[in-house]
Amino acid sequence: MPASASTDPGEVSDLDLVKRSQAGDTRAFDVLVTRYRGRIYAMTYHLIQNETEAWDLAQEAFIKAWRALPSFKHDAGFYTWLYRIAHNVSYDWLRKKKIQGDGEFDDERTEHRVAAGAEATPRGDLAPDAALRNAELGQRIQEAIAKLSPEHRQVIVLREVEGLAYEEIAALIPCSLGTVMSRLFYARKKLQEQLHDVYETSN
Amino acid sequence: MKHPTEEHDLIRWIDGEMNETERTTFEERLKQDPALATEARQMRALSSSLRTHLPAEMRVPHEDFFNTQIQVRIAQMAQDDARAKQASSSWGDILQWMRQPWFALAGTAALAVLGFFMLSPATGDASESMILSSYTPNTNVQARTYHDNGAEATVLMLDGLDAVPAERKVSGINIQRSEVEPELASTTMYDHKGTAVLMISRDALGNPMLTPRG
Repeated sequence: MPASASTDPGEVSDLDLVKRSQAGDTRAFDVLVTRYRGRIYAMTYHLIQNETEAWDLAQEAFIKAWRALPSFKHDAGFYTWLYRIAHNVSYDWLRKKKIQGDGEFDDERTEHRVAAGAEATPRGDLAPDAALRNAELGQRIQEAIAKLSPEHRQVIVLREVEGLAYEEIAALIPCSLGTVMSRLFYARKKLQEQLHDVYETSN
Repeated sequence: MKHPTEEHDLIRWIDGEMNETERTTFEERLKQDPALATEARQMRALSSSLRTHLPAEMRVPHEDFFNTQIQVRIAQMAQDDARAKQASSSWGDILQWMRQPWFALAGTAALAVLGFFMLSPATGDASESMILSSYTPNTNVQARTYHDNGAEATVLMLDGLDAVPAERKVSGINIQRSEVEPELASTTMYDHKGTAVLMISRDALGNPMLTPRG
């Protein structure tokens, strides 16, 4: 699972801050918010792909964490626990948006028609990072991720951003290991398809 | 479309999830299958690009406001809990009036009416102000408030409000103190100059009644 931020010598530990927060010390909780807001916001942003919504959801995650603090047992790291809350808040939001059917997520309908080795596969020895400036490629990647379904976006973020092992992803979602691998495969195929012109340009 | 096992092998190879034996076997297979080798190489390049361009930590926009809002909401939750325990007070009765549908001041407009009550009127210190109650005629609108020490102002946030034309005037009533008259079942509210600006009472039928003063 995601590891806690390394603390500098002399810096108050998560454990101490959590204990003080559980006793009602809102200043201690504010330190925890400051310590982890950047990582939680990055996760919600990558999942939601909307700055305002990601900001609100990150905040909602911290509020839920505050409410749930009395039940926090210290058997997992605070960040791991907080990350689960933030992930669930964000993913619930994504599912509701999908149910509302605004047509944004379209890859579920095409998942099984993307043939391996078809046009989605870039040709030759390509170096997209060298072909486009980093900022441009970064923008293209963000746009491509925004078009993924919630399920595919979720596994990409958990694997590529957070570096979670398959077992950890399966436990967090939750689903089987096979589902994790299948989703990762099709999510990457879909991204390759979305970024096809980038690879072509650099060829 | 590949067999699921082939997809999984490819993914596990890209992610370094294979043991040594599995990896050696798969790489032998790649040598025999140029198309698969190309696909594997390109998918690994994509994965590398994703890790480069998706930072695990980002600067939060308006980060101080982000923290402040969390503190405000925590304080509001504590206040709500405390208020729930005092539901039988006379103030509670009055505030219940303000939650009734009849209290819609502007009809369709989603204006919020806030009662500001100073904890310490003598000091006039805005940082000690406390929002006792808020009411929005439009139930789709949620009113939240917090005190911004830097601006020395109480900020009203209205979530769910339709776009408000810039020329529309929005005003509120800044109540500094109030006096309850039990015999008349009324409450008179005063502004910072000590002028009575509003009285809440009941009419002959027992319905709540707001009477502007001054």
